[in-house]
Amino acid sequence: MKPTPKIVLLPLLVALAGACVSRPTQEETDLLAPTEEQMKLRSFQSRTFDVADRTQAMRGVIAALQDLGFIIERANDSLGLVTAARFAEPRYYDVMGVTVTVRPQGEGKMLIRANAIYNNAPVTDPKVYQNFFATLERSLFIGRN
Amino acid sequence: MRTTTPRSEELLRVGAALLACAVVACVAPTKPEELLQLHPESGAHKAMQTRHFETRDDVELLSASAAVLQDLGFQVVESERPLGFLRAAKERSAREYGQEITRVFVALLSVAASALGGGNSVVIMPVDVHQQIHASLVASPIDEAGDRFEVRVLFYRLVWKSDGQSGNEYVEPGEQRMEMIRDAGIYQTFFARLSKAVFLEAHKI
Repeated sequence: MKPTPKIVLLPLLVALAGACVSRPTQEETDLLAPTEEQMKLRSFQSRTFDVADRTQAMRGVIAALQDLGFIIERANDSLGLVTAARFAEPRYYDVMGVTVTVRPQGEGKMLIRANAIYNNAPVTDPKVYQNFFATLERSLFIGRN
Repeated sequence: MRTTTPRSEELLRVGAALLACAVVACVAPTKPEELLQLHPESGAHKAMQTRHFETRDDVELLSASAAVLQDLGFQVVESERPLGFLRAAKERSAREYGQEITRVFVALLSVAASALGGGNSVVIMPVDVHQQIHASLVASPIDEAGDRFEVRVLFYRLVWKSDGQSGNEYVEPGEQRMEMIRDAGIYQTFFARLSKAVFLEAHKI
């Protein structure tokens, strides 16, 4: 018995459709690769401080965030992690969230990285991070009173 | 001297609340870079939220802080002993007479206006119904010897609104907003209780 035309055509159509699918573009393959912008952002977000004790550095981070009006939501000493948020007063519907990590980097140094989001969108303006580190420096090295 | 009756006082309060809503709606958004900058009022807020205690026992200070928060009806939801951190929350009703009166007043006004215009739409303003009050507390040493500790506490609240009606459109319940609590009396009460609990005098900064 001869195969019906439908049965013959179906695998051909599938083969043709497969041939039409384009190869992954360069953009797709680079989805998880670090971009130049990401590297720049990381450098804005990170700074090394001459502090030997991680707990002391974390207390400095917490104090700086509190001075800036942030609410400390979570703090984990063993992971060196602080999460905080504040409202963009007087508009209480806009919220800024910050996650700060504190990691030892060599003898007597701590690498502090801050990631800020504003209404769930990442903050990429270097000025924002400069302002944060200026307050942190004050909190870590200048008398806290 | 002019005096105001409770009724006129209530009306004034309602008018002020409406005016405040209109002003807030027009306020320009704060830029993100301004949110990570110290402001002139930062020092005053810190002074209100902070007290110093002459003690070496940070564990006792933190544990007494948790006990005071419990006495005030809070549940501790987060704690990190090495950093002297506590976060606590409590749930309460957020209903206020002022808002309820405004709601009725606006509804009546909308019915009257719509009757004059030949329509039958009504405006029912959503009001605050429920709130969650949070406390975020940090106890940290303020000298290298660890003889003095500072306790800084921050109170804020999340408020949920009821449902409402705007013309033919139904406003779903559950809209949420957040507010910092900046009533000095609340902070004074907290520190007075903490001072009693640790048998130490709380020093203002």
